Formats: sequence, structure tokens, C-alpha cells
Amino acid sequence: MVVLVIVIVLVALLAVIALWQFNKLRTLNVNVDEGFAQIEVQLTRRSELIPNLVETVKGYAKHEKSVLEAVTNARANIEQADGVGATALADATLTGALNNLMVVAENYPDLKASTNFLQLQEELTTTENKIAFARQYYNESVRALNTAIVTFPSMLFVGMAGVSKQEFYEVPDVSQRVAPDVGFN
Amino acid sequence: MSFRAAQSKNKRKTFILLFVMFLFVVAVIWAVGQLFGYGSVWLVPIAVVIALIGVWGSYWNSDKLVLKMTRAQIIDHDTAPQLFNVVDEVRIAAGLPMPTVAIVDDPAPNAFATGRDPDHAVIAFTTGILNAMDREQLQGVTAHEMAHVGNRDTLVMAVAATTAGLIAIIADVGVRMAFFTRRDNSNPIATVIGLVILLLAPIAAVMMRSAVSRKRESLADATAVQFTRNPAGLRRALETLAADSTVVHERSTAVSHVWIESPLEGKSRSLFDTHPPISERIAILRAMEQSGPPTT
Repeated sequence: MVVLVIVIVLVALLAVIALWQFNKLRTLNVNVDEGFAQIEVQLTRRSELIPNLVETVKGYAKHEKSVLEAVTNARANIEQADGVGATALADATLTGALNNLMVVAENYPDLKASTNFLQLQEELTTTENKIAFARQYYNESVRALNTAIVTFPSMLFVGMAGVSKQEFYEVPDVSQRVAPDVGFN
Repeated sequence: MSFRAAQSKNKRKTFILLFVMFLFVVAVIWAVGQLFGYGSVWLVPIAVVIALIGVWGSYWNSDKLVLKMTRAQIIDHDTAPQLFNVVDEVRIAAGLPMPTVAIVDDPAPNAFATGRDPDHAVIAFTTGILNAMDREQLQGVTAHEMAHVGNRDTLVMAVAATTAGLIAIIADVGVRMAFFTRRDNSNPIATVIGLVILLLAPIAAVMMRSAVSRKRESLADATAVQFTRNPAGLRRALETLAADSTVVHERSTAVSHVWIESPLEGKSRSLFDTHPPISERIAILRAMEQSGPPTT
């Protein structure tokens, strides 16, 4: 009788732990997916800003063809990118191209003073910040998930929860880590 | 010290303080029992109910109440694009839902966050702080407020206020009863200790509540750095606030704990302060800047 009670209690305890760990792993996995979705939302938002930005800059700086084309091409590439690694690479390239565009814009006082450009500049600043923060949040979520997958006791329930280690969103080239210098004004 | 070390230190201290407050509750109940016999403990559940009614209504509706009290105007992306964008950035870093953003028409630079949970959060800025800060500083201030939301500080402070209120009610009724009740007590030492506890516990409880508030402010500073990874933004914002001498018009103690900088306190340091000294907060953030960006 006593043995039976002990067995029942142990089984119940084990079931509770399993349920708790299962939910923990699934929640961590959902956080990672949501984190990546947020990065994609912000990347899309930046892509949507670009045609308007390019048109505005063109109006004042027709001769800066190469810089403008680099931005347009990088934008096209990011839309085709698939998966974490490829997206991160295309993202870094576009950030670099936008950075150059902003440097060029510095030479055109009329452009810098236009309301339209100032609005676009603010939207671009915030979107670059959002991409950086979404990336940071995503990487923290990935770290939490990957840690849970290799540590006790959650590691015992990985198969049951059907989760696996996820890839970090790493900016490939250190020289391109700097966001476009659009200022904090 | 890294922001992570600062976070765990302040979380631990909050826990210890709340535990000590709980011991105070036990002490006042013991004192009442000593003085009037344990038949008088019926007082405790009544005191609990009164303390709960006093605090939890304002906790549950804190978002609506504070907006009304400070006459804050809710804004969206079209009315204040930069402010709205900054809040949106920080909430992405925090992984929280977008809070209600509001502006208080007041020349004194300050900001606050409230709301019972992240889904009902409000973050408000005075017109003074919007005029005084650049984008990076504003991001630091927003991160501090978003940290209060993420750390559930409205809830933590409601718990602290309830406990302090409970202690005050029991001690107050106890002291009054001591004047009107005559009772043959076989133990005069216990009677004296009981009376001392009843007289001192309410003051000590308010001090503990203020200490909890100070720890939550330090925690919010550290969590803000976790969100932005940029201690300099908040540090420069606090420097601007320290240099400013105007105070918020709404000098109500009811909302004083929610502001980023205390609207009430003077220069001297006291155990009743709701915020740590601003110079100390600046020094801690500066130390985080020097320890370099964390690898995570």
C-alpha cells in the first residue's frame, strides 16, 4: 500500500515536471520564432521606406547614381534572401548601402533641409534601431532556447517538445555593423 | 559592475525587504496578541481587507487614474512621430507589447510608467523632458520606464504599499486600544515591547516601502541598459535631470514613486526617499559604460 502511494506520487511528480519543461521549451521556441518575425517586419518596413527615400534624394542629387543603385540592388537582394544566415548578410549589405547614401546626402544642404527628407531620416533611424533591437531580442531568445536544450532537466524533454537549436542572427562583416549615421536629432 | 549583476542584486534586495516587511506584520500581530490577548486577533483579517481595498483599486486602475490625475494626453505616431518611434524601438528591445504613450503638459522634465501589467501599461513624458532631451537621452529614459513595466513595478509597489498599510492599521488600532483597555498583564516586559513595536512599526514600514522603491529604481536603470545596451543615453539623461531645478506641478505623494526623478525630495538624503540619489545612479551607469559592452 505504502509502496503504491509512493509510486503514484513519484509518477505524478514526474508528470508535472515533464509538463512544465515541455511548456518551457515550447515557449522558448515560440519566442525565437516571434523574434525572427519581428526582424522580418522591420526589414520589410525599411524596404518600404527605400523607394520614397531614393526618389527624394534623386530630386536633389541626380548625379549620385552609383550610390542610389547600390541601395536599390541591396533592397532587391534582401527580398530574395531566405533563412537566418542569408537574411543577415543581405541586411548588412543594405545597411552599408544606406550608410553611404546618408553620407552623400550630407553634401546637399537643400536635401538635408527638406521636410520630406527629415521625416524619412527619422523613420529610417527608428527602423534601423528597431532592426538592431529585434536582432538583440532574437539572439537572446535563441540563447535561452539553446541553453535549455543542453542543460538539465529540460534537455531530457527536447525530443518530446520537438524543438531544436536555432541559429543566431549574426551581422557578417564587422565594418558594416554601424547603422547609417543619420544622427540623433 | 555589469547590468546583469546589478539586476540580480536589486531583485535579491527587493525580496529581502519584502520579507522583512512580512516579519513586521508578524511582529505587530504578536504585539496586539501580547497586549490584549489572542482573542483580539479578529482585528487582523479586517485590517487586511481595509489595506487591500485602499491599494488594489488604485493598482488595478492605475493606468486610467494616473492619466487623469496628471491630465496626460495620449499620443500616436502622427501626433508625435519621434517619441512614438522611440517607445516602439525600446518595447521591441524589451519584447513587450506597445504601451499607451502620453504627454503631460508640464515644463518640469520628468517621465513615468504605470499600469497593472504590460498589456495595460502607460508611459508618459512631460513636455519639459521632451524639450530638454535629445533622441539618445529620450531612448534611455524610455528604457528606464519600459523596465518598470517589464519588472512589474506597479505590482511590486502595490504589494509593498498594502503591507505598509496593513502594519499601520493594526498598529494604529492597537495603540488606541491600549489607551482604552485595562488589562492585567502578567508580563510587563512583553507589554512594553509590544507597545514599542506598535509605535515604531508603522514608521519602519514606510521606510521599508521607500527602500523597496529605491531598489526598483536601481533595477530599472540596470534593466534599461539590458534593453538599449547603451548606458550613456540614460546617464546623460539623468545628468540633464540633475542639472534641472524645476519640479513637477503635480506634487502629489500618490504618484511620486512613479516618476523617473522624484518630484518631491530635496537635496538631503533620507530613509523616506523613493529614489536613490541621482549622483549615485549616474555613477553606476558610468561604471557600466567603462566595463564595456557585454558580449551578450
